[in-house]
Amino acid sequence: MTMENQKDSITRLLEMLDNPQAYSEQELRDIINHDEDTRETYRLMVEAKRNSRRQSDHSIDVDAAWQRFENNHFGKKQPKRAWQKMAASFIGLLLVSGIALAAIHIVRNYQKPTAPQTEQTGTKANPSKITPADTLATDTTSVQPVIYDNIPLEKMLSEIAAHYDAKVTFVNDEVRQLRFHFVWNPRQSIEKVVSDLNRFERLHVTLKDNQLIVE
Amino acid sequence: MLERNIMERLFRQHYGKMIRLARTLLTDDAEAEDMVQDVFARLMQTDIPPAEEKVEAYLMTAVHHACLNAIRHKTVWQQVRNLYPVGDETVMPSTDQMSERMDAIMSCVDELEEPYRSIFHLRFDEDLTIGEIARRLHLNVNTCYKYLRQSIEHIRQLVTSKTV
Repeated sequence: MTMENQKDSITRLLEMLDNPQAYSEQELRDIINHDEDTRETYRLMVEAKRNSRRQSDHSIDVDAAWQRFENNHFGKKQPKRAWQKMAASFIGLLLVSGIALAAIHIVRNYQKPTAPQTEQTGTKANPSKITPADTLATDTTSVQPVIYDNIPLEKMLSEIAAHYDAKVTFVNDEVRQLRFHFVWNPRQSIEKVVSDLNRFERLHVTLKDNQLIVE
Repeated sequence: MLERNIMERLFRQHYGKMIRLARTLLTDDAEAEDMVQDVFARLMQTDIPPAEEKVEAYLMTAVHHACLNAIRHKTVWQQVRNLYPVGDETVMPSTDQMSERMDAIMSCVDELEEPYRSIFHLRFDEDLTIGEIARRLHLNVNTCYKYLRQSIEHIRQLVTSKTV
């Protein structure tokens, strides 16, 4: 590889890092895998960032970490947690049923949180279980339904797709930031999730070659 | 299921090393903490702990795998935004090889002159964009790109010669 090519490939990588959202997933892959030399440069960048995190030992607090573990696994709160889990599954089941789907609606970025509608009684019954805006329930070990409340589509879909090992492609970039109320049951097949998503009038999602294409 | 006193002993003994590895791989303290807690939770479910001399290796491998798995399950955007390995690159070398390369990179960065070192530090330690770095250091954006590119070329050459 000539010096000139290497120069270009490093610049391309740096530009990409500054704004990955400006590229499609395929474009990102193509830039990184352009050739062995570019891959090696990207690897070096990965390591450089990891290196910086390796140094930060300052905040290791084994007491606090053990306490958290103890509370979660040996704590007296166990019965309550179990009860909450059951309640959450039950509400989740209600929500993923047809009634709940009717309650799904779009909230645009600039809108205030909409007033609760009658169909939303399920979520009102246990508001503490609702994921707050911009916070995702990412408990990977859980198979309980996940409630996305006022979460940008882009964020929500990337989490959902990851669970099914699928990729997301936005044909229409405008929908990326649309915010949704959506209940996702990780036990459901990806096809079922796609058909649920398509009930939103602004969305058209197709599944092709394990890729979610959003229009 | 392992008892509380056994778990506490193992936790206190190995947590430090494990969280350091998880933070290094994930570069996100909260996610790293969850990962280590999960590994201990899985260990707790076993009936007999691994042999004393193997516990550390077992736990470290479990953390390594859990982190790589978490990275693999992210979208390419998330991977790039967090500067995680992408695609096949998620198959990483052993922890020892990794530390060796990282030590080599660190010593190269330390030897960089200013403003090269600051630019490198702000990009990879502080996660600033080139535009933000240029503003902060009162430099031209293109100059910033050029300096950082030169640092990377320089470090790549040195690291390759040091670790091969």
